[in-house]
Amino acid sequence: MSDVAHDTPVSHHDEHESTGIDNRKLGMWVFLSSEFMFFGALIATYLLYSNRGGFEGTYPSEIYDIPFTSVSSFVLLMSSLTRVLAHNALSKGDQNGTRTWLFATAALGAVFLGGQVFEFTEFVTKYDMTLSSNPAASAFYLLTGFHGTHVAIGVIMLLSLWGISRRRGGLSEKQGMSLELVGLYWHFVDIIWIVIFTVVYLLSVPPA
Amino acid sequence: MTTEHDTHPSPAQYWKIAALLAVLTVFEVAMFYIDRELGLGGLNALILISLALLKFVIVVGWYMHLRFENAIPSRFFTAGAILAVGLYLVVLSAMGVVVIRG
Amino acid sequence: MTATAERPRTTIFKRPSSTTGWWSWLTTVDHKKIGIMYGYAAFFFFIIGGLEALMLRIQLASANAEFLTAGAYNAMFTMHATTMVFLFIMPASAAFMNYLIPLMIGARDVAFPRLNALSWWIFFFGGIFLYSTFIFGTSVPPIGPDGIAGNLAAGGGPGSFNWLADSPDGGWFGYQPNAGPFYSPGTAMDYWALGLQLIGLASLVSAVNFIVTVFNMRAKGMRLLRMPVFVWMGTVVAFLLLFSIPIIAVALFMVTFDRQFGTLFFAPVGGGDPILWQHLFWLFGHPEVYILILPAMGIVSEVLPVFSKKPLFGYSAVVFAGAAIAFLGFGVWAHHMFSSGITPVAQAAFGLATMTIAIPTGIKIFNWLGTMWGGRIRMTTPMLFAVGFIAMFTIGGLSGVTHAVVPSDWQQTDTYYIVAHLHYVLFGGSVFGLFAGLYYWYPKLTGKIMNERLGKINFWLMFIGFNTTFAPMHWLGLQGMVRRTWKYAPETGLEPWNVVVTIGAFIIATGVAVFMYNWYHSRRHGEDSGLDPWDARTIEWTIPNPTPEYNFAVSPVVSKLDHFWHLKYDQDDEGRAVRKEDADQIIAELQHVGLNPPEPIHLPTPSYFPLIMAAGLLLMFYGIIYHTTAWGKALIAIGAVVSLAAVIGWAIEPVEEPHDKPGEERSEKVQAGV
Repeated sequence: MSDVAHDTPVSHHDEHESTGIDNRKLGMWVFLSSEFMFFGALIATYLLYSNRGGFEGTYPSEIYDIPFTSVSSFVLLMSSLTRVLAHNALSKGDQNGTRTWLFATAALGAVFLGGQVFEFTEFVTKYDMTLSSNPAASAFYLLTGFHGTHVAIGVIMLLSLWGISRRRGGLSEKQGMSLELVGLYWHFVDIIWIVIFTVVYLLSVPPA
Repeated sequence: MTTEHDTHPSPAQYWKIAALLAVLTVFEVAMFYIDRELGLGGLNALILISLALLKFVIVVGWYMHLRFENAIPSRFFTAGAILAVGLYLVVLSAMGVVVIRG
Repeated sequence: MTATAERPRTTIFKRPSSTTGWWSWLTTVDHKKIGIMYGYAAFFFFIIGGLEALMLRIQLASANAEFLTAGAYNAMFTMHATTMVFLFIMPASAAFMNYLIPLMIGARDVAFPRLNALSWWIFFFGGIFLYSTFIFGTSVPPIGPDGIAGNLAAGGGPGSFNWLADSPDGGWFGYQPNAGPFYSPGTAMDYWALGLQLIGLASLVSAVNFIVTVFNMRAKGMRLLRMPVFVWMGTVVAFLLLFSIPIIAVALFMVTFDRQFGTLFFAPVGGGDPILWQHLFWLFGHPEVYILILPAMGIVSEVLPVFSKKPLFGYSAVVFAGAAIAFLGFGVWAHHMFSSGITPVAQAAFGLATMTIAIPTGIKIFNWLGTMWGGRIRMTTPMLFAVGFIAMFTIGGLSGVTHAVVPSDWQQTDTYYIVAHLHYVLFGGSVFGLFAGLYYWYPKLTGKIMNERLGKINFWLMFIGFNTTFAPMHWLGLQGMVRRTWKYAPETGLEPWNVVVTIGAFIIATGVAVFMYNWYHSRRHGEDSGLDPWDARTIEWTIPNPTPEYNFAVSPVVSKLDHFWHLKYDQDDEGRAVRKEDADQIIAELQHVGLNPPEPIHLPTPSYFPLIMAAGLLLMFYGIIYHTTAWGKALIAIGAVVSLAAVIGWAIEPVEEPHDKPGEERSEKVQAGV
C-alpha cells in the first residue's frame, strides 16, 4: 500500500488502494471461504448421526462400495489436473489445448456425477435406503447431494466456457479470468470431496 | 505488481503433483483394508485424516495457487477452514460425538 | 481494446439506460438507489412488525384477555421477531452500508454493482415471499405420531383474529420438532424456512460484495486504519454474515427437507436430534446478534465525534474491539441453550466465554464516553439518539451479563426478563443507533436538514416510551411471567405492570409517527443543508448534498483519518482545534467541483438481469412449497428457466457499456429519460 505523492499522474488502476487482486477473483476466494461453513455443517450432521444406533433402516456405512467410490474419487481428483492444464495452455496462448483440457475436465466431472447417480440408485433400489430411512441416510443424501449439485454447476460452467471457446475460436483475456474463477470453484469442490471421501466413506462405522 | 505468473508450476510439475495425489489416494484405500484386517482404530483415523489433510493442502497450495497468491485471500480461506473445523468440533463434542479426553 | 466492434449489441433487449422515473429504480445498479430502496423496504417492515407488536401488547394488557386467539398470538410473536430481525434491522443496516460505504471510502460504486442489485431484489422478494404466507399459508391441526397436540396454531381457542394464525407460528428461532412437519403441518412454516433462505442468500451475496469493495475499492491514501469506524463495522458485519449465513442455510435446508421430503434430521421419533437444530440455529443466531448491533455501533462512532467536536477517543481500540466482539461472538452460541441439557463443562465454558464479550463491549462504551468527555457537545437529534444508544445499550449489556451466570440464566430462561434484555440491546441499541444515522445522514439523501423540534419530540417520545415498555419487563420476568404465552391469570398480579408496558408501546408508536411526519415534512420544508451541515469529519461530506449520481467528481486522495476535518481545522499550540480561516472557501470550492466534474464519468450501466434472476428464484421457491402438485413442479421449471436466462444475459452483457463517443451516450440517456 503506497501513499503516492499527490501530483503523480495516475492510471485507471492506481486510483484505488487495493489488494492488487482482481475483484472477481477476490470475490470468489471470499465466497469459497464461506463454503467451508456450509459443508462443515453437513459433514458434522452426518458425523452426529452416522453411528447412532437403535433405529430402523439401512445405514449408509453398511453398504458403501469402497472400490467403486475410490475410483470415482480418483476421477474427480484427476479433473483438477486437467483444469490446471487448461489454465496452463491458455496462459501460453494455446487455445486448442485449452479447449481439449476444458472438455476433459467437464467430462471427468460428468463421470463422477454419473457414478453418484449410479450409487444413489443402487442404495435406493438394492438396499432400500431412502431419505427417510434414518437420520444417517438423510444426512448422507443431503451432504453428497449438495456436493453433487456443486459439481453439476461446475460442469455447466466448464461446458459454457468450452462452448464459448469453440464458437469464438478461443477465450479472451476476460474469459481467461472466468476460467480461473471456475477453476478455483472446481478445485474447492474437489477438496471438499477429499474430506468427504475420508471422513464419510473411509472412516465411517455402522452403529454397533 | 503480482509475481503470480512467474511462479506458476510448469505442466511437468502439475503431472508430478497429480501422481503424488494418486499415490496418496492409493494409500488411503489401502489403509481402509489394512484397518479392516488389523483393527487399528484411532491410529487408522489419525493416518487417514493426515493423508486427507495432505491432499487438501496440495490441491489448495499448488492447483489453486494459494501458495503463490497475495496474503489476503489465503488469510480469508484459512480463516474459513479453521473456523469451520473448530466450531463443528465443539458442536460435536457438546453433543457427545467427539469425546475429548484429557 | 477494439472489443466493441466485434461484439454484437450486448443482448436481445436494449440495455436500460434511464436514470429517472420508476423504471430506473427497477434496473438500477447505483449503490445509493439500492440503499434507499433497502431503507424504505426496511421501514415498511418496521411498521408492520410494530403493528404486530401492538397486537401482542393489546392482548397482554389485561389478564385472561381474548383479543387474539392462541394461534394468532403465536403467529404474531413469530412474525414480529422474524420481521424485526430479518426484514427491518438487517436491511436497514444494509441500507446504510450500501449508501455510505462507497462514499466513505471514496469510491463511485461497490465492487459488483449488479450483484448488489441482485442482493436487494432477492431480499425484497424474500420479504414478499415470507409475508405472502398471510395470503397463501395454512396451519392445520398437528398430526403428531402419537396424536400429541402441538401448538394451538390451527385450533385457535377463544378470541378473534384467528385468520392471522395461518402464518408462521413456530417462533423466530423455529425450534424443532415444534416447527417440524408433525407439530406444525400446513405450509406456514415452509414459507418461513424458505423465506429466510432467500433473505440469507441476499445477505451472503452482499457480504462478498462489501468485503471485496472495502479491500479493493478504497480511494488513494484511504488505508485500512484511516477508514471511518462505520466502514470498519460494516466490514466486520460482512465477515460475520459470510461465515454465519451458510450455517443457517444448511439448518433451513434440513427443515425444508424434513417438512417436504421426509428426511428425519430433527424428528425424535425417527432418530433425529432437536438439539442439533438448536446448535446450528444459535451458531448462526449469536453472530446474528452482532450483525444487528455492530452497524449501529458504527453509526454512533461517527455521530459522537462530530457533535463533540473531538476525534473519536481511541479509534484503533474501537476498531479492534469491534473485531474482537465479532470473533468472540462465534464462540458463545450455547449460552442460548443453558436450559437445553448441555453438559456442565459446556455450560461453564460458554458462560465464561460469554462474560469475556463484556470486555470489548466495555472498551467501546468507555471510548464513546471518552469521546464526549471535555468536548463541545451539541445536543442535536442525532446526538440525542447516539447518547440514548449508549445509555440503553449499557443497561442491556449489563442484563446480558446476568444471563452468562448459568444458574441465574436458568431462572431467566423464557421469561420477560430475556425479552427486556433483548429489546434493550436491539431497540435501545440498534434502533436508536439507526435513528441517529437517519437524522445525521438525511442531508446526504435530500440536501435538507430534518426538523430539530420534531426530532427532539420524536426522540423523547421514543426514549420515554421505550423505557416505559421494556423496563417493567425486567421485574415482570423476575416475578415469573413467561414469554410466548398468550394469557396470564389475574391471580398472578402481573396485570398492572402489563398495562404500563402496553401504554409504553403506544408511546413508542407515537414517536415513530412523529418521525415519519418529520421525514416527509422536512423533504419539502426542511432547511437547506449545504455541503457540511454538521461540521463533519469524514469524506462523505466533501461532496454536495444530495449526493450526485457519480458520487465524487474527482477521485479523492486521503491523507489522514478524519480527512475532511483536517481540511478545515488546524491545531493551536495547546492542541485545540482551530478552524482555518479559509475553511468556508474550501467548502465552497468542494461544492463547486463536486457539481462540475472536470471530465465525463462512466458509471455502471443499469441492468434488467438482477431483477429477472431474483424473480426466477422467487418462482422456484413458491414451486418448492407446492412441489407435490403439477403446477408446483411447473413453477420450479419456469423459475429455473427464467433464472438461467438471466444468468446467460448477465454473463453476456458487460458491466459498463463501452462509451466510444461520450456525447452520443449522453443524448441517448436524455432520449430514454423522455
